[in-house]
Amino acid sequence: MLASILASGLAVGAVYALIGITYNTMYSTSRVMSFTAGQLGMLGGVFGSLFMLRLGVPLVPALLLTMAACALVGVITEFIAVRPVLKSLDQHLYVLSTLAVALLIQHLTALEWSTEPQPFPRLLAMGSGVWDEKYWLPVAACAVTIIGLEYLYRHTLVGRAFVAIAEDNFAARALGLPERNLRIASYAMAGAVGALAGFSGGQLLLAFFANGPLLNFYGFIPVALGGLGNNRGAVIGGILLGLFQQAANFTVGGIFSSVAVFTLFIIVLLLRPQGMFGMPTARRV
Amino acid sequence: MTMTRRGLTLGGAGLAAASLSVPLATPALAQSEPIKIGWLAALTGPSSAPAIGFNRGVLYAAEALNAAGGVKGRKVEIITRDTQGDPTKAVNATQEMISQLRVHAIWGPTNSGESLAVTAIMARGKMPNIHPCVVDSLIDPTRYPNAFRIAPSNTQWDDAVRAYTLNIAKAKKVAVVGDTTGYGVSAANASAAALQKDGAEVVYKANIDATQPDMTPDMLRARNAGAQAIVIWSVSTGMIARMLNTRATMGWDVPFIGHPSLASGEIGTLIDKPANWEKVYAIGYKNCSYDASGKLPPRNEELLARLRGKINLQDTLLWWVACGIDAVNLVAKAVETGGSSTNESIIREWNALKNYPGYFGDYSYSATDHNGFPVSDIVMSAASTGKNGTFALAPGYG
Repeated sequence: MLASILASGLAVGAVYALIGITYNTMYSTSRVMSFTAGQLGMLGGVFGSLFMLRLGVPLVPALLLTMAACALVGVITEFIAVRPVLKSLDQHLYVLSTLAVALLIQHLTALEWSTEPQPFPRLLAMGSGVWDEKYWLPVAACAVTIIGLEYLYRHTLVGRAFVAIAEDNFAARALGLPERNLRIASYAMAGAVGALAGFSGGQLLLAFFANGPLLNFYGFIPVALGGLGNNRGAVIGGILLGLFQQAANFTVGGIFSSVAVFTLFIIVLLLRPQGMFGMPTARRV
Repeated sequence: MTMTRRGLTLGGAGLAAASLSVPLATPALAQSEPIKIGWLAALTGPSSAPAIGFNRGVLYAAEALNAAGGVKGRKVEIITRDTQGDPTKAVNATQEMISQLRVHAIWGPTNSGESLAVTAIMARGKMPNIHPCVVDSLIDPTRYPNAFRIAPSNTQWDDAVRAYTLNIAKAKKVAVVGDTTGYGVSAANASAAALQKDGAEVVYKANIDATQPDMTPDMLRARNAGAQAIVIWSVSTGMIARMLNTRATMGWDVPFIGHPSLASGEIGTLIDKPANWEKVYAIGYKNCSYDASGKLPPRNEELLARLRGKINLQDTLLWWVACGIDAVNLVAKAVETGGSSTNESIIREWNALKNYPGYFGDYSYSATDHNGFPVSDIVMSAASTGKNGTFALAPGYG
């Protein structure tokens, strides 16, 4: 039983963590919590199944096409749901606009794809039991993503520009950084990360339009637990969430496990409102 | 001649009395006008698969009746409205059918959500209504004397599943699993209570979120509790397929018995290998199930031969098509035997119907029972044996 809890807990935790990173990537350049993050994960599974099973595209091109398609969805989100509300962030209109786009994506998928879960292909045909690829692929994808992002942010000029925008938008613009283009790029990158979450977790979650809201909810928890904008926090929060959820599934059952997860979430936020790894924000007086 | 007010009043009264004393002749139009059957069909949208199948039967039956000269010389006209599975659209279409189109009877809607919205409206309009929806409360001869069910109710499904589990599969320790929808919760609760009442031990009961990615926890708990059969109440093919894959991974051969979704073609695409779909028994119907020699009951063998080349059965279920045929035929039969297409006459004829030999089932109604489908016609099918919209009888039927 312990092996099953660890295998499935790490797998779903890694998917949640990747969705958490998707939230953070969009947030960092726009200060907007875009509720399309879960839908991007859902689309990763749907596009993966579409390209590989229906169109017969091989694995690597299918992965690249999936990431490109979701990146495009990310960019469209920036144009229609984020940019128009940036001037009035304090009114939190982005909640409405991004939720509307999320619903639009979900309904379009239901209409054009299917309302029933569709199969997702075996990707590498490796492993069985608790070592089945469906359990370790999301973990591997999560590790690659976090290493890639760390490299991007620390060792490349574009990455440093992202960090600069995230740190101080006005100062970055004063320095001549192309804030708008960087924001578009960050939404494309978020789309690609979301796609990777859905694609690597496709064998667990299947290509199902209803995965969007699920990933939206459970992907948000690592962000809140790990601290807004903190990718390492999101990964640790996501993995812990997955493990706790699966342990609760095994011990108290499906419905009660959701109750257990949200109870723990509220307790953590009561004790550390800024998240486990977030820093309290200083307010100038 | 001058006309006084008193003369006009007396003359009017005289005319009225004369007209009342002579019975009005039935207009010739009513004798020759088509029999208009309103068809509330969710032909598009997420729950359209059954209605598409029903529709093929409806059109076939109307064509066959009209080709044979109609009903006492009257053609049958099907007036279809696509409700898209949306209760609001179903309500609007019902109002239109009653008030403007003035249909003689309504067939449908085909899902319970829509039916719950329109049943009271049809009752107010005294509109003869026949539908295949399973929710028990939709049939109540006191509140809805106009509504008749042509398919089994939820309770009848539950009775059939319980009978197979206890008497044929011989399972005494049973796990009952539903999804977390309203239907899944209520059906699982009712099923567990009835199993316990009949002496079975419900060793595990759960409602599982259909999007839960890993079913190992629930399957392990069911096995550790000693379940000899798992009764399923869910329409979620994803959840069912995951459970079947988990059963195979665990090396457990416990039978799955329950909801017709267990036999959905979607499951075939979601399971890891075809063997995972063995020992799975879904609710089916005797008239649409083939025996060990691959034959349907004679009446439906003959129907199948007639449908060949005319109706595609590869992507639908025979019982949907057969039920659509029966619905139209039941309206036609009521008009034929009653000699009238008035609401009262059709309802009176249905109330007196005894053992009508349909293709889907043999129907009987009375003034106090509008559940016309006999529970003895509900059987279990081997879920993985779909062929031309029919299924093999599950093992254990003589």
